[in-house]
Amino acid sequence: MGEKIVFKSYKEMPIRPMSVADMTWNLTGSWRNVRPYYDFKVSPCRAGCPAGEDIQKYIFLLLENREEEAWRTIIETNPMPSVTGRVCFHPCMEKCTRKDFDQALNIPGIERAIGDMGLENRRWMKKASKSRKEKVAVVGGGPAGLSCAFFLARRGYAVTLFEAERALGGVLRWGIPEYRLPNALLDDVIAQIVESGPITVKTGTALGDEIDLASLEKDFDAVFLGFGLSESRALGIDGEETNGVESGLGFLMKVNSGEKVAPGKRVAVIGGGNTAMDVARCALRSGSDVSVVYRRTRHEMPAINDEIEEAEAEGIKFRFLAAPKEIIAKGGKLSRVVFQEMELGEPDESGRRRPVPIEGKTFELELDRMFTAIGEAADLGPIEGSIESEWNLMVTGDGSCKTSREGVYAGGDVVTGAASVVEAIAAGRKAAEEIDRAFTKEAEPAAEEQKIIGIEDINTAYFGHSTRNLLPRIDHAEAIAGFSEIHGGFDSNRLRGEAERCFSCGVCNFCDNCWIFCPDVAIMRREDEYEVDYDFCKGCLVCVVECPRNCISTREEGK
Amino acid sequence: MKRVIMGNHAVSYGVRASDVKVISAYPITPQTQVVELLSEMCANGEIEAKFIMVESEHSAMTACVGASAAGVRTFTATSSQGLLLMHEILHWAVGARLPIVLANINRAVGPPWSIWTDQNDSLSQRDVGWLQIYCESNQETQDTIVQAFKIAETVKLPVMLVLDAFFLSHTFEIVDILEAEQVRKFLPPYVADRQVDITESHSFGNLASPDGYMELRYMIQKAMEDSRSVVRDVDEEFGKHFGRSYGLVKPYRCEDAETILVTSGTVASTTRAVIDKMRDEGIKIGALKIRVFRPFPFEEVFDVLSKAKKVAVIDRNISFGHHGIFFQEVKSALYGRTDIPIIGYIAGLGGRDVTPGVIREIASRAIGDTKPEREINWIGVKE
Repeated sequence: MGEKIVFKSYKEMPIRPMSVADMTWNLTGSWRNVRPYYDFKVSPCRAGCPAGEDIQKYIFLLLENREEEAWRTIIETNPMPSVTGRVCFHPCMEKCTRKDFDQALNIPGIERAIGDMGLENRRWMKKASKSRKEKVAVVGGGPAGLSCAFFLARRGYAVTLFEAERALGGVLRWGIPEYRLPNALLDDVIAQIVESGPITVKTGTALGDEIDLASLEKDFDAVFLGFGLSESRALGIDGEETNGVESGLGFLMKVNSGEKVAPGKRVAVIGGGNTAMDVARCALRSGSDVSVVYRRTRHEMPAINDEIEEAEAEGIKFRFLAAPKEIIAKGGKLSRVVFQEMELGEPDESGRRRPVPIEGKTFELELDRMFTAIGEAADLGPIEGSIESEWNLMVTGDGSCKTSREGVYAGGDVVTGAASVVEAIAAGRKAAEEIDRAFTKEAEPAAEEQKIIGIEDINTAYFGHSTRNLLPRIDHAEAIAGFSEIHGGFDSNRLRGEAERCFSCGVCNFCDNCWIFCPDVAIMRREDEYEVDYDFCKGCLVCVVECPRNCISTREEGK
Repeated sequence: MKRVIMGNHAVSYGVRASDVKVISAYPITPQTQVVELLSEMCANGEIEAKFIMVESEHSAMTACVGASAAGVRTFTATSSQGLLLMHEILHWAVGARLPIVLANINRAVGPPWSIWTDQNDSLSQRDVGWLQIYCESNQETQDTIVQAFKIAETVKLPVMLVLDAFFLSHTFEIVDILEAEQVRKFLPPYVADRQVDITESHSFGNLASPDGYMELRYMIQKAMEDSRSVVRDVDEEFGKHFGRSYGLVKPYRCEDAETILVTSGTVASTTRAVIDKMRDEGIKIGALKIRVFRPFPFEEVFDVLSKAKKVAVIDRNISFGHHGIFFQEVKSALYGRTDIPIIGYIAGLGGRDVTPGVIREIASRAIGDTKPEREINWIGVKE
C-alpha cells in the first residue's frame, strides 16, 4: 500500500466511483471461509460398467469430434465395443442418472457406433510390439481369452491363444445368433484384436487333447484359463436320450455355423436364460412354432429383458411355472412331453423364489423337438486334480484371477458360472494386469474412494427433457424371415443427439458455467481446465451451485 | 424511408439506427413490442447486438450497468412496475456515470392493477439523476432515441425516454425511418472513456468516505446542469442532419397569450387542437409543452410563461400530499420572479381520456377563476 491519496479539488477526482490505484494490494480472497475446488467424481454409468468403461469421457470426446480418442478411451478397458454395443446387458443404463430425469441414455447405441468407427478405421489400432521376454498362454478364444490376450499384448507380452474350436470367438461365435451379432462383424473384431500385437493363434487345439496344463507350464511363463462353459446341463428326467431331445447349445452351434437345420413344426425350449431366448428365436427363424417353458415366472427370468420382449414380439409363446416331467417317445422318436405345473415357494440362495411342484397338476405338449437350455457347465476334466475347483467352477482367490496353482490364472464363465460377455472381458483384462504385475513386480494401484453421482447431485435446471434415441430396426416380420441383424446403427445426427443428452455426471465438460457465473472473475479458463484464483475467490460458491454436474467441491478454510 | 409504425416500434427503430451493442430487457405491457421487435432484429442480424434475456427488470438494468461499464452502448425498455423494480439500479447507473438509454412507457402503478397510462412511474424516479425526455409523437420518439445516446455519452449520465401507454405506444403514425448509415455521422460508434478491464484491477462502486462522497454528487449535479446546453446542441445538430428538432420545451401560440396551458406527452397534441379552436373564438390562449423534464428547463419555461397573465398546468400524475409534479416544477421556475397565478389540474390518471372537452373545461375554468380557491383541482372526479 502506498501513501494515502488526498484530493484537493473535485477536479482531481475520477468522475465515477472507482479506485485510483491498482487493487492488487487488496486480495479479497482473504475474506473467504469456504474454498471451492475442482473435484471430479465418478459417473454412475462408469461405476455400473463391469469393465469400468469411461463412458462419460468417450461421449465427451465424441461430442468434441475427437472420435479416434473416444474409441481409444473404450479400448483401454474393452477391446470389442462393437460386440458389447450389440450384446451387452448394459447395466450402465440401469445406473444412468438421466433415468431419474426422463430416460436413460442409449449408451450401447453410442458404444456400438464408436466401436464400428474403430473397425472402419483400422489404422486407429496401433500395433503393439513384443517388449517383454515372458510368454503367456491363453486358453479359450471367447471374450475372456480375447480380452486377456489383447491386454497382455498391449503390454508387450508374446501371447499364444489356444482355441478348441476351428475359429476364435467362443460364445460370441457359437452362442449368440447372427441377428444379434453378425459373424462377419465378429470376424473383423477378432482380426483387429489378433493383429493388435504379438498374438499367435492356435485353433483346433483343445486343453486335454492337443495340449495339457503341464506342457503349457513348461513352455510359457504364465497361463490364463478362460475356456468358459461348454457343456449343457441335463434335465435329469427319464427319456432325455430320446431322439428329438437336444441341447440348445448344440442347436445354436449348428445354426451359427451356417448349417441349415429344420427342428420340426412343434418346438419347446426349456429354460429362461439368454440361451433359451436365442434357441427359441433361432428355431422360430428355422420355421418352427416355438414355446418357451420356464419353471418360474417372467419376473424371475435371467434373460436380458430386451431379448424377452423381442422374443414375445416375434411370436414366441411362453409357458411359465412348468417343467418337463416325462418324455414320451413313439417309434424311437419324441412324441410328447408331460409337464409338471409349479408354484413359487420360498426364495432360494439366488434370492429368487424356488419353484415347487403342485401335486397332481400336469399338462402335455405334443412336440417334434425339445431343446434344453437350463444352463451350461464347465468341462473341468483337463485340470481335474491340478487346480482347486468347487461346484464345477474354478476357484480364484479374493477377487483376483489367481488360481490355486502358481502362475495359472483363470477368468470368465469358467470361474463365475454363466455370467455376461462384459464380465468376461473385465476378467480377462484383470488377469492380464495381474500377470503383468507378477512379472514387473509393480504394486497394484491403490483403489481410490470416489463419490458416485446421483440425480440429487445434478443441477437439473440446466437440462431439458428429451426422449431416448432408439436404433433403427427392421420390423418383426422381416426379422423372423431370416438371420439378418435386427438393429442398425445410429446415423450421425441421432448419434450426436443422443450423446448430447449425457449429463457428464461429476466430470467437467467445459460448459463454462463456473467461469461465466463467478462474480469476482476468480475462475481462470486454461487450455483444458479451469483454475480458481484464490487471491480473489471470496468463497461465495456460486460456481458450485451453477456447475450442472457437480465437479466442484468445497472445504472450510483452516480445516 | 417512411413507414406507418406503432410508437413502440419507433423506439425499436431508433435503437436499430444507433449501433447499440447490448440490449437487456424484460417484457411488460405496454412496453412488450419494443423488445419483441428488438429481439427479432438481433436474431436476424439487423442489429449486431447481444440481447440478454433476464428474469426481472432489476436484472435487466443490472445487465445494462455491467455492459455499459464494459464500454458498450446499451439500451433497455420497461414500464411501470418494471421501472420501479429497477429503482435501485437506476441510482447505480447514475453513480457509476453510465450512458445507458431507457425507454419507459408510462403506465399507472398498481394497485389497483392498471395497464393504462399516467406519469407516476417515471416521475417517481425524478430524483435519481436520470435525464427525462417526454415524447409526443412516433417520429419524435425515434429521433429522441438517437439524440439520447449522444446526450448520455456526452454528459456521462443515463437518459430516460418517456412515452404514454397506448396513446403513443400503440398508436400508428407515419415515421421517417432512420438508417444506421445515415445516423453514424451524427452518432459515431461509442468509445467509452473508461472500461472495466480484468487485466487492470480497480475497485468500482467502491466505498467513498464522507471526505469524497459529496464531491462525486456535486459532479453529477454539475453534469445535469451542463446537460441543458448539451440537449439543446444535440437537438440543433440533429436538426441540421435530419431537418427535425424538438427543443427542450415547445410553445404554441404563446406570443400574445393571456392564459397558457402547460402540458406534456400526448396531451400536448390534443391541447394544441383546443388552442386553435379557442383562438378562432378570439380567446388569447396558448400552450407550452415541456419535453425535457430533467434537467428542468427553468429559463425556457420562465421566458414563455412570464409574458402570460395566468398559467394552468395539466398533470397526468399526482404527488400525494403535494400537487401535480409538473405544477410544482413550473411554480418553482417562476418563484420570486413573477406573481402570475399558477393553477394545477389533475387529469387522466390511470388512462382516463383527456379529450378536447376536458382540456376546454380546464381552459375555461382557468380563464374564469380570477382568484381560484384551490391551487390543485381534480378534473372529472366523481365527487
